[in-house]
Amino acid sequence: MKIICVVKFVPDVDNFTYDHEKHIIIRENSRMMVNPDDACAIGFALKMKQRSPDTSIEVVTMAPESVLPLVEDILRVGVDTATIISDRLYAGSDTYATSRVLSRYLSGATYDTILTGSHAIDGDTSHVPSQIACLLDLNHMSYISRIDESSFSSSLARFEVESEQAVSSYEIQMPAILGLTRASGYRLPYVRYKNLNMDVSDRVTVIHNDVLCFDESEVGLTGSRTKVVGTHVKTYKNRSHHVVTTDQEGIDTVYRFLKDKQFI
Amino acid sequence: MDSKVVLEQLKGMLTVDQINTDQDDLYDAAADRYKKYAKARKVLNVPSPIAIVYPKDTQEVSMLLSYCNEHGINVIPRGGKTATEGGLENWKELTIVIDALHLDSICKIDTYNSQATVQAGVPLQVLEDELRKVGYTTGHSPQSKPVAKYGGLVATRSIGQFSTLYGGIEDMVVGLECVFPDGQISRIKNVSRRAGGPDIRHIAIGNEGALCYITEVTVKIFRYFPENNKFLGYLVKDVETGIKVLREVIVNGFRPSVARTYSPEDAAQHFYHFYENSCVLLFMAEGPKGIVSATVNAIEEAVETYKDGIIKQVDSQLIEDWFNHLNWSQQDIDDEMLGMIDNDSHAGYTTEISADWETIPKIYDAVMERVRNEFERAEDLTMLGGHSSHSYLNGTNMYFVYNYKILCEPEDELIIYHHPIQRIIVEETLKAGGSMCHHHGIGKYRSEWTREEHGSAYYMLEKLKQAFDPNGIMNYGTIFPQEEGMKYIQ
Amino acid sequence: MKRILIYIEQHHEQEGLDLLETARQIYQEEPYETYALVLKSQYDALKGIFDVIVDLSEECLQEYEMRAISEVCYQLHKSYHFDAILFPATSWGRLIAPRVAMMLDTGLVADVTDIAHGEHGLELIRPAYSGRIMASIQITGDGPMMLSVRPGVFSYTQHKKAATQIRIPQDLRYRTGGLKETGRKEKHSEYDIRESDVLISGGGGVERYFHELRPLAELLGGHVSASRAIVDKGVADRNVQVGQSGKTVNPRLYIALGINGALQHIEGLRNVDYIISVNTNKYAPICSLSDIVVEGDAYTFIHRLIDTIHKEKGYEGH
Ligand SMILES: Cc1cc2nc3c(=O)[nH]c(=O)nc-3n(C[C@H](O)[C@H](O)[C@H](O)COP(=O)(O)OP(=O)(O)OC[C@H]3O[C@@H](n4cnc5c(N)ncnc54)[C@H](O)[C@@H]3O)c2cc1C
Ligand SMILES: Cc1cc2nc3c(=O)[nH]c(=O)nc-3n(C[C@H](O)[C@H](O)[C@H](O)COP(=O)(O)OP(=O)(O)OC[C@H]3O[C@@H](n4cnc5c(N)ncnc54)[C@H](O)[C@@H]3O)c2cc1C
Repeated sequence: MKIICVVKFVPDVDNFTYDHEKHIIIRENSRMMVNPDDACAIGFALKMKQRSPDTSIEVVTMAPESVLPLVEDILRVGVDTATIISDRLYAGSDTYATSRVLSRYLSGATYDTILTGSHAIDGDTSHVPSQIACLLDLNHMSYISRIDESSFSSSLARFEVESEQAVSSYEIQMPAILGLTRASGYRLPYVRYKNLNMDVSDRVTVIHNDVLCFDESEVGLTGSRTKVVGTHVKTYKNRSHHVVTTDQEGIDTVYRFLKDKQFI
Repeated sequence: MDSKVVLEQLKGMLTVDQINTDQDDLYDAAADRYKKYAKARKVLNVPSPIAIVYPKDTQEVSMLLSYCNEHGINVIPRGGKTATEGGLENWKELTIVIDALHLDSICKIDTYNSQATVQAGVPLQVLEDELRKVGYTTGHSPQSKPVAKYGGLVATRSIGQFSTLYGGIEDMVVGLECVFPDGQISRIKNVSRRAGGPDIRHIAIGNEGALCYITEVTVKIFRYFPENNKFLGYLVKDVETGIKVLREVIVNGFRPSVARTYSPEDAAQHFYHFYENSCVLLFMAEGPKGIVSATVNAIEEAVETYKDGIIKQVDSQLIEDWFNHLNWSQQDIDDEMLGMIDNDSHAGYTTEISADWETIPKIYDAVMERVRNEFERAEDLTMLGGHSSHSYLNGTNMYFVYNYKILCEPEDELIIYHHPIQRIIVEETLKAGGSMCHHHGIGKYRSEWTREEHGSAYYMLEKLKQAFDPNGIMNYGTIFPQEEGMKYIQ
Repeated sequence: MKRILIYIEQHHEQEGLDLLETARQIYQEEPYETYALVLKSQYDALKGIFDVIVDLSEECLQEYEMRAISEVCYQLHKSYHFDAILFPATSWGRLIAPRVAMMLDTGLVADVTDIAHGEHGLELIRPAYSGRIMASIQITGDGPMMLSVRPGVFSYTQHKKAATQIRIPQDLRYRTGGLKETGRKEKHSEYDIRESDVLISGGGGVERYFHELRPLAELLGGHVSASRAIVDKGVADRNVQVGQSGKTVNPRLYIALGINGALQHIEGLRNVDYIISVNTNKYAPICSLSDIVVEGDAYTFIHRLIDTIHKEKGYEGH
């Protein structure tokens, strides 16, 4: 079985610096990582490979070439090959353009199934899996919280999707795109200490636009259908806050407030 | 010898309920908090002991030790299980843990002579609570007070938060009883002082279970005046200023019970609500009124002397509040364990060193510099700082604290993160002439540097081991370096 | 006249209705017509409000037949030429909208939380970086404009009376199959904090006595909620977690007990009329958002407030 994992490298959203004057995120010093949901997809694929060693896994990402060391780490934990789709022309692509680039590559690739995450922590859109599914005309489901490992095959997958109200089970015909969530608990392992310097360079391919042949107008900022015109860190209205303590006077203040506003 | 045979023979010596072979308990006994993360994740690489035994009295300890001595069975003495340096970790296939569970009686509280006698398995908190009822205190308050037991506290040369006033455990132990591998029971009598040759209490105190099993201790107890406690806190510009103020107070002859300086990073963990990105200097003065007020005056004078480095005084209440929430209960320890199972993180590590006044700030700066520049995973550090918390006439300690995002498999955590940092701290300390082990003991992982720590005096230490434990059955790998154990380190 | 299509998710009619407010903010004074797309025929709540209801109930489509639904949307657009297509950013809405956008070759803005008319024209505001920043997005293609809109952010209050036409489209072509629901287990929680008017919320500071919050909540006719600090510890149920990875709530009164006020927590507070925070640390970030800051121990606060309420009630009784 051949599994392709489509993954995104994202900045650590917990620790980024923001230029409050220019209203931009300073990307230089934010470190990149595999998007957490996408990491679960690789984690699941590795688990399937453990079950049936003839499984081969390819990781595909559209990213600047600077992610190479991170991609190599993925190869050091058992993923077979990796493809980095990277071209200056693709920079600034929105989800629409990104999905088109990825789909063009995937349409020429062989696979039994495509695994990915449901949601990226930087863009927060969840568009790409659905849009690739649309372009490749594949069945698709996201928000998967569990996949039945024993029935997972190149013709069928059974899985559960957890929402706030319910846990639903589904069956999907393969090939399909399956989007996992962190709730699935599948883990992308870390590189073991002894493998930290393993040479995996022969298993990474970097492809540029000379392979995918997009016209300049179809990709990047110009090929996008949406554009970010500004960002800002949220501010909240400051309330004229009144500071009291838990002594009777303070409690009475709270009591009167609640009474005035008719909570009591 | 075969473990089955050993278990059979143990049954001949003890009752069934004194022998524990529960698999989970044995796994738990295979390591202490040094390998806490790997342990929580169930990936320990060390063997489990074959049994945990619970002797009921000194005679049984003696019988067990001589049996193990005769058959070359490794023995790990155990108390409250709060060891942090591998003292409880097992490196031998054939090991028995001798747990002080049933050595739990308070033998005597003698307020007139200011001393109390307890068995090794009495938790510090239990004695403290008893003493408080009669207006006394042990004066001993390590952060692990609710859990640690007297045997362990003495065996590790532990120290408490009030040490500047009351001293470390070695200043408190008046006499003790211990058992050697050949079964010999020795009692060191309780006198106020003597010149009867070398002070042999120190063979047992700090032996970390590598020379003898401590069964009973007599400690000093102190009148307690909690109503007089006073707290003082300041924000200071740098660690060095804080340490200068500490020194000023101490060398002028004053003994606040708590006297600490925190680096901003460490302060952030405790005092984020007021530390304002600076160092925190704090004191607690304790004792009779007159002493407390004299101590407070002396602190204020010392602060005045170094006023250029003082940013401002903080509300005493903030210090007192913090102090009241400092100790770790068993629940906290269990919580951290649970957290480590669910999350890729723990509460961090510490390495505690000591040196004289002028050297400590130098070590501190050198360590910070080297960790930031040399440590390969420096960008994963979420915290790197320290505090000085135990001061003496000639110097003080530095308690380095650090934590990091654990971006590796649990099996590799120590080798990727903790060891490289610890190595830098130990190297810098030894290079500057300080001690690499202020109060947690050497345990197993710092045994790599025991020779260097002691230099030519290692000869004396080694002779003790040869004399008292010729068969090497006591806590294999602890304090004394063992080539064979290196596989568990690297 | 502009035409707007709004996708109505089953059992989430209110979320669909609320998108009328989004539409109003987009088009402001411009005249527009509203179309509701419904899969099943229970849509009484929509009648008299939307101009047109496109009723697909005869097609017997399931919510999860995303391919089919997007093919239907595509065809409807080909006949009606919508100017805007709005989805609630529910799980299904977020899965169907991107397909429709791709088929229509148009831009889609996800999870919109605000509308602005700036110097560049219409800007759609949405959180990014897991809510840490807000981004203003413009749609640059030829349209239609497509949005998925975060539920609970816009609320439709006007009750414009319209004569609603029901249209049952004919000759729809779409493909079904490929994905099948084989089972469903409902999760049940006692109450939904999103519906509560009053929330008594506990955080790290009340870890040991979270259960003490309930009596106060009951006295004030509200419910108990929590920050992630104590949800992670297993003290409170995930169902009652407020915040970015929990629920977005909009009570009239929010009492934060022992909550520090991390941005991810505040993220979950929408249109809260009054905030009271009780914290031993009056400099905790949440205090700066509060109408009243009670500096002190939450436990003490709860008990004193309960006593006071009882006492005052007692006096009134005499
Ligand atoms: C949260 C926390 C805070 C801590 N804070 C402090 C602190 O402030 N100050 C401080 O000094 N330490 C501190 N420690 C370290 C630890 O608590 C001390 O080393 C303590 O003295 C160990 O006591 P224990 O009873 O838990 O011993 P154990 O952990 O059971 O054993 C410790 C060592 O002593 C040996 N041992 C135990 N009992 C005997 C015996 N009867 N005879 C011979 N050897 C024995 C063991 O073999 C082992 O090597 C802390 C630890 C934790 C987890
Ligand atoms: C991707 C992501 C998503 C997240 N999503 C959420 C989310 O949905 N919801 C959420 O809540 N958090 C979320 N968090 C976590 C968030 O960052 C904070 O860690 C969390 O909100 C802290 O909870 P807390 O303020 O209750 O606890 P703490 O930070 O522990 O604060 C406790 C507070 O209680 C006060 N206090 C202590 N004792 C007392 C006392 N006796 N009486 C009164 N006050 C006392 C303290 O002064 C302090 O202010 C998220 C984080 C990330 C990274």
